[in-house]
Amino acid sequence: MNSAVPTSETYVQRTWRHFYADSFARNGLRIVIVLFIVAALAPFLANSHALIRVADAQWSFPIFHSLQPIEWRFLFYVPLAGVIYLCRNQFFARPGRSILYLAALIVLIEIFIGFTHPINDTSNDRDRPASFKLMPMIPYSPIESTPDSFSPPSWKHLCGTDSTGRDIAARMLHGARTSLSIGFVAQSIALTIGVAIGGLAGYYRGWIDIGTCRFIEIMDCFPPLLLILVAISLFDSDKGNNMFYIMAVIGLTSWTGVARLVRGEFLRLSALPFTLAAKAVGASDGRIILRHLLPNSLGPILVAGTFGVASAILIESSLSFLGFGMQAPTPSWGDILSDARRYIDFAWWLAFFPGLAILITIMSYNFMGEGLRDAVDPRLKVK
Amino acid sequence: MTTYIIRRILLLVPTLVGITLLTFLLIRLAPGNAAMLKGGGENGGRAMTAEQRMATIKLYGLDKPWYLAYGDWVGRICRLDLGESWKDHRSVTTKIEERLPVTMSIAGTALVLSYLLAIPLGVIAAIKRGQVLDRSISFIVFILYSIPSFVAALLLILFVAGGDYLNLLPMYGINSINASEMGTLPWLWDRILHMILPVICLTYASLASISRYTRVSMLETLGQDFVRTARAKGLPERLVILRHALRNALIPIITIFALELPVLIGGAIIIESIFTLPGMGNLMFESLEYRDNPVIMGITVLAACVTLFSYLAADILYVLVDPRISYE
Repeated sequence: MNSAVPTSETYVQRTWRHFYADSFARNGLRIVIVLFIVAALAPFLANSHALIRVADAQWSFPIFHSLQPIEWRFLFYVPLAGVIYLCRNQFFARPGRSILYLAALIVLIEIFIGFTHPINDTSNDRDRPASFKLMPMIPYSPIESTPDSFSPPSWKHLCGTDSTGRDIAARMLHGARTSLSIGFVAQSIALTIGVAIGGLAGYYRGWIDIGTCRFIEIMDCFPPLLLILVAISLFDSDKGNNMFYIMAVIGLTSWTGVARLVRGEFLRLSALPFTLAAKAVGASDGRIILRHLLPNSLGPILVAGTFGVASAILIESSLSFLGFGMQAPTPSWGDILSDARRYIDFAWWLAFFPGLAILITIMSYNFMGEGLRDAVDPRLKVK
Repeated sequence: MTTYIIRRILLLVPTLVGITLLTFLLIRLAPGNAAMLKGGGENGGRAMTAEQRMATIKLYGLDKPWYLAYGDWVGRICRLDLGESWKDHRSVTTKIEERLPVTMSIAGTALVLSYLLAIPLGVIAAIKRGQVLDRSISFIVFILYSIPSFVAALLLILFVAGGDYLNLLPMYGINSINASEMGTLPWLWDRILHMILPVICLTYASLASISRYTRVSMLETLGQDFVRTARAKGLPERLVILRHALRNALIPIITIFALELPVLIGGAIIIESIFTLPGMGNLMFESLEYRDNPVIMGITVLAACVTLFSYLAADILYVLVDPRISYE
């Protein structure tokens, strides 16, 4: 239709078209979206409390009384992501301002969640009499022990149970939120630090640049997993089960790659005529960085961020596996695997299902990163 | 070139200072130390004796201002004195020395093996670019790249090492219990059997990334003029690839080992603790569980220095191998 006529396709639209044309990347994105939806709805998919319960002609919704702070968090953030997707045109039209609003919103949500308290309710509605009740798909809570331990996968327990009779399917659904949110938040921290430090070094050059490069070099000498393990074991005594602590440690140790990348991009871009033009019309440093350099290097940053989420998820599950991350009873894929290690002789389901889940998640993110890299590659523009 | 190498080596000094300073500050800032020393001492549930407390104060110079303490500590590291383990009061240096050979043999075998397998894979994928063979190699390599090593280790143990399925390989340890009674050859065979699974787990991830690099590098080289010239003068394709393209494509690949090393060290912690191999990674894991800070710090500094020197080796190697690079 418009093959010969130059179209008014924007950079984002073109990148998206290339990205979507790649079947691996497209399916990776779909899987990640499904995982996020599952993670967000986990308490409604696997819970020992009934969705709807009618007893003595009284309607009740027990499930809403059992929601934990983290569940509220998911209930807020996933719709937020949906809203951003629906308003993506406005969002990308003014990236600087949008990110500011987004940060404010996140702070508000976190303040709200700060006021909710964890609930310790181990009752279940499976056996409670009622004239009508609608149970979730998997009628078990992730931290609830049932009498049948080590039951292999069956219709009753889809993915089997572990040593204390906890339902693996329920633990996996709830564990998805641990992995996904730690991966996402840790990488966001890393991106923020990396972009700030790398951007300053690349833009101001000189001593700032030299100092930054030295520091990055020093950080890079520590094997990442080792540094994280040391930081966790030295600084936490009871915080081992604190999700934010783990997110922060992973984020604070994995920003160097992004910083290098952004520094390189800024060095390259700030030598180009458009930066000079912006300077010539009197734009301030902040304006040049935020409105000219940052949007132009957003592509590579996004690619690095996508791969980074995959490695953050990998690190989180390794930590839980080694017993330094999220610990029981908090469900996490790595924790189920570390349980599997003890009973590896016979309990194959303990290793197989969470292993598969980690593999699929990491692979989807890697496929997305790969597709995104091809899509933002300027060499493709010739086509 | 000599100037370049000397300059490169001199640049190590600030980085070394940075590494030791960072590690030292981690110890100083760790809340555990102060609390342990003040509260008459709990060390992860184990009471700390007065003598131990004194040793710790002396080791990290907790009674001195930080810059003096740092100076002392670095001086002691240079003399390879890393202090005493809190767990069994043995010198950290000796403990590391005992464990080093196992880790080096496993990580070394894994590194060599991954190069040996990855380069042919990458070259084949590059030659058959876009064809079914290339796509299937790339896809398999991609899946391998995404499998966490501990998942692979667990599944391998489950399916080939005992349990309800095949029982081909031993599951734990670096040797059988009765290894000391064996002759040389059976002992070696026993050792090899024990090493197969850990080496596989460490190899496949590096293999994936190296073969991806090889493919990209090979594709770039194949597009260059001298390859076309070699083809034009009628050389057989095999020679064009092996003698002209591969040699040039290998230059960036050689230096990748420096990037793989930190990954291998991280992997060794996990793999050695799964297979309970008496290596550095396992020592690190045990010390982390026990909060044996002198050992943790010793291994951290050592790992960082090894990585640093491998970066240096990679840089120098790069210059030595490729005469086109200017040393400025």
